[in-house]
Amino acid sequence: MMASIARSALLRQAASASKLSLATSSAARQSIIANSVRASAFHTTSRRNLLPPLPQRVEGTVNDPAPVPEPSPSHGSYHWTFDRLVAASLIPMTITPFAAGSLNPTLDALLCATLLIHSHTGFQAIIVDYIPKYRTPRARKVFTWGLNAATVVVGLALYEFETSDVGLTEAIKRIWHA
Amino acid sequence: MAALRSSSARLLSLGSLRSAFRLATAAPVRGFAQLADAAQQSQTSSDKPANLKTFQLYRWNPDTPTEKPRMQSYTIDLNKTGPMVLDALIRIKNELDPTVTFRRSCREGICGSCAMNINGTNTLACLCRIPTEDNADMKIYPLPHTYVVKDLVPDLTHFYKQYKSIKPYLQRDTPSPDGKEYRQSKADRRKLDGLYECILCACCSTSCPSYWWNSEEYLGPAILLQSYRWLADSRDERTAERRDALNNSMSLYRCHTILNCTRTCPKGLNPGLAIAKIKKEMSF
Amino acid sequence: MIAQRVGTTALRRVAASPSNVFFTANLAKLGMTASSIQSTQTRLVATQKLTPTDAHDILAAQRLHRPVSPHLEIYDKQQTFFGGSIWQRITGSAFSGGLYVFGAAYLVAPLIGWHLESASLAAAFGGLPLAVKGGLKFLLAWPFTFHALNGVRHLTFDIGIGFKRKDIVKTGWYVWGASIVTGLYLAMFV
Repeated sequence: MMASIARSALLRQAASASKLSLATSSAARQSIIANSVRASAFHTTSRRNLLPPLPQRVEGTVNDPAPVPEPSPSHGSYHWTFDRLVAASLIPMTITPFAAGSLNPTLDALLCATLLIHSHTGFQAIIVDYIPKYRTPRARKVFTWGLNAATVVVGLALYEFETSDVGLTEAIKRIWHA
Repeated sequence: MAALRSSSARLLSLGSLRSAFRLATAAPVRGFAQLADAAQQSQTSSDKPANLKTFQLYRWNPDTPTEKPRMQSYTIDLNKTGPMVLDALIRIKNELDPTVTFRRSCREGICGSCAMNINGTNTLACLCRIPTEDNADMKIYPLPHTYVVKDLVPDLTHFYKQYKSIKPYLQRDTPSPDGKEYRQSKADRRKLDGLYECILCACCSTSCPSYWWNSEEYLGPAILLQSYRWLADSRDERTAERRDALNNSMSLYRCHTILNCTRTCPKGLNPGLAIAKIKKEMSF
Repeated sequence: MIAQRVGTTALRRVAASPSNVFFTANLAKLGMTASSIQSTQTRLVATQKLTPTDAHDILAAQRLHRPVSPHLEIYDKQQTFFGGSIWQRITGSAFSGGLYVFGAAYLVAPLIGWHLESASLAAAFGGLPLAVKGGLKFLLAWPFTFHALNGVRHLTFDIGIGFKRKDIVKTGWYVWGASIVTGLYLAMFV
């Protein structure tokens, strides 16, 4: 099957090569024919076995627009702005411990909370990116609620750590200098 | 005089006959550029030495759908080929293998038909020079993560449907004051520079990993650039509705400023900046 | 093309014979007839009529077989694998994952009998050889500095700065360089 494409080209080349025979030696001709069309098998996306793309299906006719989702700012613009504010507020909070040695308990707790939110939204973005809702709605649900549960657990843990231990920045400092 | 004319004509006829004969026999040989080019290399001809370059093309034929896509190599002499990749492709199709399939139209970077992945980056074949500094093989694929119709031809149906979904036309309710055209200031017009030039070749959208994984719902850089083109238009009166259409988790906010779009745009536009401006305008 | 050439050859031959007035006078006409005869096509493929729904069904069936063109494996590695964006995600999820694992472990530690208090962790870390300590510190410090510096880069993108094509590439490499240098500094001297 595959050869049928290559074959016609090869035949034609062989035919034209015989016309060329005056110009080139037979050995050169052989190598030309051998190297003329090199076809190699090609591995496509099959290696990415995790959620490979589905066969193509087009909803509606080619003239229908793609569906427009309902507006939901809490997943859109508010979410984005909140995310950036959290990320930006982390800048001074990570620089201060370097200048001051470590943070006081209130600031340290604030840092922990901000880090937790930052981690949570980061993981959320990963889930939304890589576990598409329209394809794997159940896995999406499991991961979303799993993340919510994990964040609550870690929130509790950080509360424990902040209240019974020395605080995050102080702990890192002590381990770093150990 | 007459005698002179006739004899010169006879001489001419001999010469033209010979040249015509040479042409006729050379024609089928010349039809196969590769062999001819290779043969010329082995001959010690007075021409420039052959500058051979191998092009590896992605091949897949819908008539034999069970076969896996494969790469096929074609070698041509760059001395006989135009400077651009599209010239090489056209020459390969004309002279080596007529089954090679690709889209092309204007050959000057205004139609966007010949968008493809050349040596790892998406660009227009007609605007991409064949690198002559080395003789490494050129690898040419269709636009990444698209459904392949045949060989280098991707299916852009969904891309166009997404374009249609952003209503890419002027929407107004109020007529213009003087009943003539809708006027705008020079400053307002200047806001559309760098936006209206987009030819929708889909190079940027198919360079975006976010669009690879979420093309069903994420609009992608090209469509968002167009979306901003209408958001930024001072004459358009549906700005709020246009923003609402983007204000969800998928349509716009799957952009993570990877910026492959800006790096790949063959027209030198900046889809990444356009998306950043939409996000910024929608943020507060 | 070849047929045309043969035609021109014939024309030239006719034109070359000097005495034949008739032929030279009717050259143009002759050329036209000759070329029209030569270029007559015969098609061996027959066409068949299809209703629009049948045509659509054929297209839909064909779509199902279409392969997806290669993407991650063929795209410019510098943009996909060394791009700041994906490493932002990798370093970030490594830290957040670490935080989540540590948090969960810290909660259950008293039940299992692990000692994850900062004092015992510091003691355990202090007991390691110097080279291991330095290596571990760099493995923590580099992702931190990378995520922080690249985070600042991304925040400047978000306010619409630094979108020139050259700047994108340049700042990307700056972040790599600066993060490695500051990471080494944090591991060695802090």
